[in-house]
Amino acid sequence: MSARRIVVTSGKGGVGKTTTTANLGAALALRGKRVVLIDADIGLRNLDLVLGLEKRIVFDIVEVVEGRCQLRQALIKDKRFGESLSILPAAQTRDKTAVTENQFAKVIDDLAEMCDYAIIDCPAGIEHGFRNAVAGAREAIVVTTPEVSAIRDADRVIGKLNERGLPIRLVINRIRPDMVRSGDMLSVEDVCEILSAELLGIVPDDEDVIDTTNRGEPIALRAESRLAGIYEKIARRLEGEIVPFTALNAPNFLSRFLGRKAG
Amino acid sequence: MHELREDPLPAAPPAQQPRGRCIVVTSGKGGVGKTTTTANVGVALAATGARVVLIDADVGLRNLDIVLGLEARVRHHVLDVLEGNAELDDALVSDKRVPSLKLLAASQTREKDDVDTNAFRGLVEKLRERFDYVLIDCPAGIEKGFQNAIVGADEAIIVCTPEVSAVRDADRVVGLLGERVKITLIVNRLRPALVRRGKMLSVDDVNAILRLPLLGVIADEPGVIISTNKGEPLALDANSPTGDAYRKIAGRIAGTDTSAPEIPREASFLDKLFGGQR
Amino acid sequence: MSTVRGRGRNVEIAVDRALPAAGEELRAHFTERPDFYRGSHAVANLGALEPGATEIAAFRDMLAEFGITLDGVSGADTLAETLANLQLAYLGPAPVAEVSALPRSRPPRQVELSPEARSLVADFAGARADLAQRRTAGGAPPTGPASGPAGVASAGVTIPATPAYAPAGVSTLYHRGTLRGGQALHNMGNIVVIGDLNPGAELIASGDIVVVGALRGTAHAGAQGDRTARVIALEFAPTQLRIATVIGADALVAVGPQQATIEGDRIAVAPLGAANTRKEISL
Repeated sequence: MSARRIVVTSGKGGVGKTTTTANLGAALALRGKRVVLIDADIGLRNLDLVLGLEKRIVFDIVEVVEGRCQLRQALIKDKRFGESLSILPAAQTRDKTAVTENQFAKVIDDLAEMCDYAIIDCPAGIEHGFRNAVAGAREAIVVTTPEVSAIRDADRVIGKLNERGLPIRLVINRIRPDMVRSGDMLSVEDVCEILSAELLGIVPDDEDVIDTTNRGEPIALRAESRLAGIYEKIARRLEGEIVPFTALNAPNFLSRFLGRKAG
Repeated sequence: MHELREDPLPAAPPAQQPRGRCIVVTSGKGGVGKTTTTANVGVALAATGARVVLIDADVGLRNLDIVLGLEARVRHHVLDVLEGNAELDDALVSDKRVPSLKLLAASQTREKDDVDTNAFRGLVEKLRERFDYVLIDCPAGIEKGFQNAIVGADEAIIVCTPEVSAVRDADRVVGLLGERVKITLIVNRLRPALVRRGKMLSVDDVNAILRLPLLGVIADEPGVIISTNKGEPLALDANSPTGDAYRKIAGRIAGTDTSAPEIPREASFLDKLFGGQR
Repeated sequence: MSTVRGRGRNVEIAVDRALPAAGEELRAHFTERPDFYRGSHAVANLGALEPGATEIAAFRDMLAEFGITLDGVSGADTLAETLANLQLAYLGPAPVAEVSALPRSRPPRQVELSPEARSLVADFAGARADLAQRRTAGGAPPTGPASGPAGVASAGVTIPATPAYAPAGVSTLYHRGTLRGGQALHNMGNIVVIGDLNPGAELIASGDIVVVGALRGTAHAGAQGDRTARVIALEFAPTQLRIATVIGADALVAVGPQQATIEGDRIAVAPLGAANTRKEISL
C-alpha cells in the first residue's frame, strides 16, 4: 500500500504553491491521513517557515541524498497534528543541482512506504528544480491566480505535465469576487476554459493568509476561518468525494466598510 | 639661435558615449512584482526622454510583454538574436506610447538552459552602447535563468514584499549577488492598515534583515492587477498614486530626485467610505 | 590544515602536509580534548603524500596515545606495500576533498606592528598557549588582567618577549560582513563574524563562535563535541543554536550582548555583563 504522490506546481512564482501545500497537508492530516510534505525548493526553502518549523531543522533532503543521515532523521513531525503530519525540509545553503531527478524520485519512493500522502512543494519555474519535483510525482495540482501572467505560466506547466502523463487538477487561488463582478478579474469559468483542467478548489483572497504564513500557523488550523472550511473541502475532493463548490459572494458594501469578513 | 619646433599636441581621443547603466530587477521569491516593477520603472525612465531597453530574461515563462501590452508586436525574441536567427533591430519592440522605450521579449517555447551566458553578456554590452538604461527582468529563483540574468549587471534592484518568505529569499539573492553589485530595495505591496494591526511586516522589519538603501515603497492596490492584465503600466497614468511612486523611483535612479522614499499611509476614512477605488 | 572529522564512533583524518608536521599539529589538537576520541577507530587520507614506513608508524603511535586506533589509509598506490607491512589496510586512492562555498571575505592584510601593538599580540598568543596547557592540566583560569608591556610577567601568566603564534591546530576564522541567507562558514577552530548572521545562514566551528552583531541564523559551536565551546553575540534571535550535541532554539531570544553555554543538558543564554565579562571571556 503505497502513498499517493502529488506535486503542487504553478510555473509562476508567488501564486500560493507553498501555502496550498501546507494547508492541504494540514487538512488531510486533520482527517487522520498520514501526510509527508516535501520541500523541493533547494536553496530557497520556505515550507518550513510557513509551518513554523524552521527552528527544528537538523537534517535536510540533501543530507539524506548524500547519505549523511537516515530519511527518518530528516523528517520533522508537526506536533500540532499528532503523528499525522511531517515535513522533509530542503537545504538552504545548497542549490538545486545538489540533487538529481533520480535521487529525488528515490526519496519519494522511500517516503511513499511510510505515509498515505507524499505532497511535493515545487519551486517556481520549469528548470532543474521543477524537473526534480515532478520526477517523484504521479499526480499534479496546478495552482494559479486569475491573472493573465499566472494563467499563461500555468498553461506552460500543464503542457510539461501532460508530456509526462501526469493527471492534473487545478486550484484557483486568491480570487476576488468583487473584482470578478466588476469585470476586472477573470472568473472561475474563464480560467477553467483557458486551462481545460479539472477543478479541485477555489480559494478566495484573504488578508489573514499573509499573517498566518508569517507566524507559521497554517490557516487550515483556524477553525473559524472561512479558508479552513475551503481547504477541508479540497481535501475531501482529493479523497474522491463529490463536494459542491461554495458560491463566493462579494462582501457587501456595509461589511467591507465596517471591516468584517463576509460569509 | 635655433628655433624650437613645437610638436603638435596629440589629437584628443574621440569623445566616448558614456556606457548605459545595466540594472537587473530581481527578488528570489516569485510573484512579488519584478515584472511589474521592470515595466513601470522602464516606462517612467523613458518618459523623461532616456533611451531605455527592457529585457525579459524569463525564458519559457515570458510576461514582460503582457504587462506592457506589447505581446501582439513581438516577432522575435532574445534567443533568436543570440542564435543569429534575427537582427537585434528586428527583435526590439517599440512602444508607441513611449518612443524611447524598447522591449526585447523572451521566448515562450524555449528553456533557460538554451541561453549561452557569454552570448547574453555580449548582447548586454552591445545594448549598453545604444541605450542609457538596460533593465533586465529576472526570473524567480536562483537557478540558471537567474545566473544568466545577472551576468552583465553591475546594479540590482531587489523587489521584496513584507512577508517572511520573501525576505528570506531576497536575502539569499543579496548574498549571491556579492559585493561587486550596487543593490537597492523596493518594498512592494505594502498594506499600511495590516502593518498597523500587526498582521504584516513593516518596511523597517524588512530592512532590519536586508539592510539595503531604500529606493521606494509601493502600496498594494487592486489597480495594479487591473493594469497588468490590461497591459497599461500605471507609470503612464498621471493620476495614479502607484504610477507616481514609480515615477519617483525612476527619478531616484536617475539621480534627479533626491527625496527620501515615503512610506505609504493607511487609507483615510473617506478613502474607505468610497471603497478605496482610485 | 589537516582536518579531523568524526563519523559516528569513527574518525576520518585528512592530512595535507608532511606526516611529521601534520602529526605535531594533530597532537596539539588532540591534546585540547585528550579523551574525546578515546576508543575510536580512524582512517587517514594522505592525499598525494608518500611517507615512509617509519613516519606512518610514528603517526599511528601518536594517535594511539589518545586512544585512537588507526585502521587504514587512503592515498597513493605506492603506499600499499608499506601499509601491508605495518598491518594497516590500504583503502585505495584518496577521495576528492569537498569544497564548501564560502562567501568572499577580504584577503588577510599585511600589518606592521608597533612595539606596543606587538606586545598585545604576544600577550594574546601567549594566553592562548597557556589556555591550551590549562585545558590539558585541568587548571583554573588566570585571575588578574593578562595584558602588560612585552616581557613583563603578570599574575599567573608569562608573556613571551617576542611574538608567538597561536598553537598549531587552533585557528580562528575572522570574517567582516554580514552573512546572508544560504551562506555558510565552517572552520576547524573558532569563528568571528563582524556583522549579522541572517536567518538561513550557518556557522559551524569546532571551537567558539562570536558574532559581533545579531545572531539570527544557525550557529553550531563545539561541532566536534567540545561541550565547553560557547557562542557569543550582541543580540540573540537564533533560528537554531547548537553546542556539541545539544540543540536549542526557542526561548533563546535576548537583546544585548549574550553568551550561550551548555548547562547540564540544555543551552543556557546569559548576558555578557561587566561583572562576569572578564571571568567568562578569559576562561
